[in-house]
Order: sequence, then structure tokens, then C-alpha cells
Amino acid sequence: MRKTKSFPLFAAAVAATALAATVSATPAAAKSTRATAGISCSKTLDIGMLAPLTGAAGFLGQEQLSWAKYAVKTLPATMGLKVKLVPGDLPVEKGQADAQAVAQKFISDKNMVAVVGGSTSGSVVSTSTALTQAGLVQVSPSATRTTLTKGDNQQATNAFFRVVPADDYQGSTDAKYMTDVLKVKNVVIFDFQEPYSLGLGGEVERDLKAAGVTTSHQSVANTVTDFSSFVTKVPSDADIVFFPTQSPGSAEAFAEQLVQQGKKAKVFGGDGSNGLGEFKAPGSYISSFAPSITGFAADKAVIAGWQKDNKGKPVGSFGPAAYGAVQVILAAVKAACDKGKGSIAKRSLVIGQMRKVHIDKGWILGGKFAWSTTNTRDPSVTKFYILQIQGNGSYKLMN
Amino acid sequence: MDTFTQLTLNGLTEGSTYALIALGYTLVYGVLKLLNFAHGDVFMVGSFIGYGILKVLGGAGDPQVPVWLLLTLMVLGGMVGCAVLGVAIERFAYRPLRDAPRIAPLISALGVSFFLANSFQLMFGAQQYNYGIFFLDGGSLYTEGFNIGNVHIPLIAIITILSAFALMVALWLLVTRTRTGKAMRATSFDREAAAMMGIDIDRVIVFTFIIGSALAGAGGVMFALRVPTAASIGFVIGLKGFTAAVIGGIGSIPGAMAGGLILGFAEAYIAGYWTTRWSDLVIFSVLILFMLFRPSGLLGQAGIKKV
Repeated sequence: MRKTKSFPLFAAAVAATALAATVSATPAAAKSTRATAGISCSKTLDIGMLAPLTGAAGFLGQEQLSWAKYAVKTLPATMGLKVKLVPGDLPVEKGQADAQAVAQKFISDKNMVAVVGGSTSGSVVSTSTALTQAGLVQVSPSATRTTLTKGDNQQATNAFFRVVPADDYQGSTDAKYMTDVLKVKNVVIFDFQEPYSLGLGGEVERDLKAAGVTTSHQSVANTVTDFSSFVTKVPSDADIVFFPTQSPGSAEAFAEQLVQQGKKAKVFGGDGSNGLGEFKAPGSYISSFAPSITGFAADKAVIAGWQKDNKGKPVGSFGPAAYGAVQVILAAVKAACDKGKGSIAKRSLVIGQMRKVHIDKGWILGGKFAWSTTNTRDPSVTKFYILQIQGNGSYKLMN
Repeated sequence: MDTFTQLTLNGLTEGSTYALIALGYTLVYGVLKLLNFAHGDVFMVGSFIGYGILKVLGGAGDPQVPVWLLLTLMVLGGMVGCAVLGVAIERFAYRPLRDAPRIAPLISALGVSFFLANSFQLMFGAQQYNYGIFFLDGGSLYTEGFNIGNVHIPLIAIITILSAFALMVALWLLVTRTRTGKAMRATSFDREAAAMMGIDIDRVIVFTFIIGSALAGAGGVMFALRVPTAASIGFVIGLKGFTAAVIGGIGSIPGAMAGGLILGFAEAYIAGYWTTRWSDLVIFSVLILFMLFRPSGLLGQAGIKKV
């Protein structure tokens, strides 16, 4: 009985206390909301990185991460910025749900201003809408699927940019090199039943057919590592096996098994099979969206600095493009900070500044950087490079 | 005809690897009635041990010992390392669950499989590791050999096939001609009765894991002599070994050998004469059909249960 009588009094006291607390807290809460509405450029800003750090393409993500880290370590100070890189691992074997989880991690980070990546086209498709809705710009160092930025059914939003050219340029460059330089008559297209491989293989096959080259097509799941039975099907008069894979080791295995079975065909891989020390069968070819930066005198200091942090690692083609993506992002962030007089009112403002970025000096991939004038959010430079593997495993530029 | 010869060689090479894995499945199933789904990952570990030994001995480009000794040490190292691993797996993951419901060790096996694959990925990364045998001894393992018609039979294929068959014959002799083999067969037939006859069941089970894992280790090294290895290869190749064991009749040693070879030939001929696109689909469809219509496999015996 006593409990029942005292309950209304207790409830009233709690309600009164809560009301008082709410009234007194309101100004502070409003102040807090106003404080987080803008991002102060004097504080440490976060840049996300969406890359396959583990899994079959882990080699690619790790290489990109090392270069992005180096860019974040060295470049922001020259612009008066403080930046932290926040890596988000998305193995190529993972699906939409995992991609969304990583994207959400970036979105909920109040200091996040931009994202490097996704490294693969699939990861861009999975995250583009969510990141755009949160106002985050994406700059990929390696997603080359043509339909991300072109065509009637574009798979990425207007907040997606890339610093490397699209596969339509790669496919046509590869096919043209085969027909004009290698004078091929018979080519086997071998795809790995995943979007990158199917897309690039299709582009090359179309161009080769248009040029009157005899083509045949084989396809196998990308879990296969022993290609002996597929190699047996390669005609003895085939000149090239075009094998767009994201696994340099698979390209190497295919090339070795061609030799083992006495086939004269050489493997021609896409940019995904570009892996110094892993794909090393002499006479094979790869294409690359970026030149080897070791030949650029202007990059010597950057390379030396990166090598100091990454002892014994070779300078590949995937990493420098990630450094370039950070360069581009920092330029846009700096412009947004300047426009906002030391703060970025909302992070989508960085997207607006991204279109205006051009780098006239110190562009890591050589020359200058600017966006394409065709409104595709692609770089103005559309050249792909053809490299041939030499007897000592090194890559020689052929075009 | 050349295509047929080449595909047969491919099938024989792949099939002998599958047979070595299938034997491990079948030995463990025969003795423990356990599907050891970690077996494919033991195979993967074997391939990594071989890689480590190769690197320690100078690598394919500059080996510090003769080629025959290098290959022997790699295979033996893979076998010993995997035998130790097999014993550890049995001791820590399966023995505590020996009297638990059969689903428990099965789940434990899957856990061990993921543990091995992921810990190797953490330690060595996700990239592929290539032995580089193509560059060993000036490529002699690829260029030397003999021809059948226009088909070149390289030394590497000969070594792989002969080694696998030698191991299979050795296992057959061990199981049929030795006291330990007799104890294994007795345990497989009726564990309780075998124990009552004085057979040390724990010892037999440990020995079974040693043999099965050693075969997987040898298979892993021989596989990686031809194609690159990676921390992630174990699951799919383990599934294929399991398929081979089911086709041959799980629990049957000759069945595992036959199943491995049948699977190898099927893969090669399907890819060569029909389609590369659907070869895995066809293979695993065969597994389903066997499970549905002949679960005892080609050479296995259907169990008779008291009711």
C-alpha cells in the first residue's frame, strides 16, 4: 500500500527533474549541432580508402595503401592541412552487404571528407550511391569499368571520379596493338567469369573481330588455378591468348602451361595482371593504365621517400595511381577549405570543387592532370601502355 | 588424337592430385566416420611448406642442392609438416568431440578449415605464390621428357604422376600388409570390437591422421610444382577431393584412388571436348547425383544397419 501511495510523488519528481534537465540542456545541444554542421580545416580531416586489403586482390590493395599512406604523410603539410587515412578493407570475394558496411563506417565518420577508391569497379558500384547521399566524393585509382562514368546506364553517381582511363580505351589499345604491331591472325579470349574479365575481354574481342581477326572464347570460374585442359584447347596456330585477370599469378600459370604444351601463343593480360615478380613469363604482354613512374625524373624524390618506408618492395603501377588519387582529393579539399574560409560547411562541397581540380606540377603519373572535357569524370589523358615481359622478368614499354 | 592424349595427360596429372586428397578424406572417414573438411587446407599448408623449403634452399632460380634432392626435400618436408599438423588437429579439434553428436566434429572441421586459411592469409598475405619451377634448372622440368605423337610429356608431369602412384601403392601395402594397417581396418570395421581385441584406438586414429595429412602434404607440394598456390586454395580443392572420395566410395581406399582419377579425367575431357564455362558445375552436379542415387560410391559398400 505504501508503495502505491508514494509512486505518483516519485513519478512527478522524476518528470520534474527530467524537464528541468531538458530545459537547461537545450542551448548546449543546439550549440553542439551547430558545431558539427561544418568541418574545421584546422583539425585533422579523415580520408577513407576503400580497397581489397585482403583476399585474392590483396596485393593490389596493399600496394595502393602503401602509396596512399605515403601521400597522406607527405602532401597535406605542404597545403596547410592535417589528414588521416582511414583504410576500409573490401576483399573482391565479398558482396554488397560488406561494401555497404565499409561505406557506412566512412559515412558515420564526421571528419571524413573524401574516399580514395573503390579500387575495383564492383566496389564502386556497391558504394557509390550511399557515399554520394552522404556527400562524400570518391576518387578511384584503378576502377576502369567503362560504364561507371559512361553510357545510358551509368553505374556510378556524379560524385565518382577516377584518375585512370576507362576500359574502352584499354580494350581498343590492346586490340590495336595486337592487329597493328603483332599482326595477329588468331586470338583466344579467355575470361574469368567476373565483371572485369568479361567486360575487357568483350571489348577486345569486338575490336579484333571488327579487324577481321579469327577469335575463339573460353571462360572459366576464377577459382580455377590449373589451366592445363584449357590450354589444350588453344589452337596451335593461335598467336595470343588474351586473358584479362586480376591475378598475375594466374596469368603466369597460364603462360607456363602454354610452354609446357608446346603452344606458340603468348599471354596478353590486362592491367589486372600487371604484377612485377608474379607475372614474369618472357614474351608475355600486359597493358597498364599508368606508366612505370621509375622513368620520370620528377618522381625520383617521391619514389625514394616511398622506398624508405617500404623497404625491398618494387614500384608497381597500382600504387602511384593511389598516390595520384590522394593528390587530387587534397587539391579539392584545399579548394573547399579556402572557399569556406577555413572550414567546409558540408562535405558535399568537396564534390563541387573536384570538377575544377587540375594539377600542373608534380603529377605523379607524369605531365599534368586535368579532367576530361567530355564531362565523364575521367582523366583527360586516355593512354594505356603496353608492356612486354623480358627474359629477366622486367617489363619493357612497347608503345 | 593429340588432343585426346594431351587431355588424358592433364586428367592423369590432376586426377592423381585429387586421389591423394581423396585418400585422406577416406582414411579419416573410414576410421572416425568424420568428414574432415580441414583436409583441403592441410593440403594448402603442404604447398606453403614446400615453398618455404624451396626458398631456404636458394629458390628455383639459384638452388643450392641438386634438383632431385631439392624436390625430394620439398615433398618430404611437406609430408612431415602436414603429418604434425594433422596430429595437432586431431588432438585439439576432434578428440575432445569424439563422443559428441556427429554434427559437432563436422562443425569443428569447418572451423579448423577457416582457421588455417585465414591464419595463413594473415601471415603470408592473399597473393599467389609460384614455385617458379619454370625457371628451375633452365626449365628442364618443362622441356625434358618424351613425346607421344605431337604431345610433349614433360618431366614435371611424369614426376607428379609417378610420385602420386608410388605413394598410393605404399599406402595400399601399408593398409593391407602390415599390423598397423590391419588395426586400421579393424577400427574402421568396428571400433568397439577392435578396442575389445586390444587395439589401441587412439594410436590408430593418430596414425590415420599422420598418413592422411602426409599424403595431403605431398599432394600440396606436387600441385604447387605445376600451378601457383595461395592461402585460399584449400576449400575448393578440398571439395574436389571430397567429391572424388564420394564418387569412389568414401571409406574405400581403392575407391578414393579411382574417384580421384575419374574426377581428373572428367574435368579434362569436359573442358577439352565440351565446355570450359560449365566444367565445375558439371563436376559438382555429379557429386549431387552420386549422393542421391549411389551414396556408397562406385567401390564403397552400403552399410547394413540393425533395426
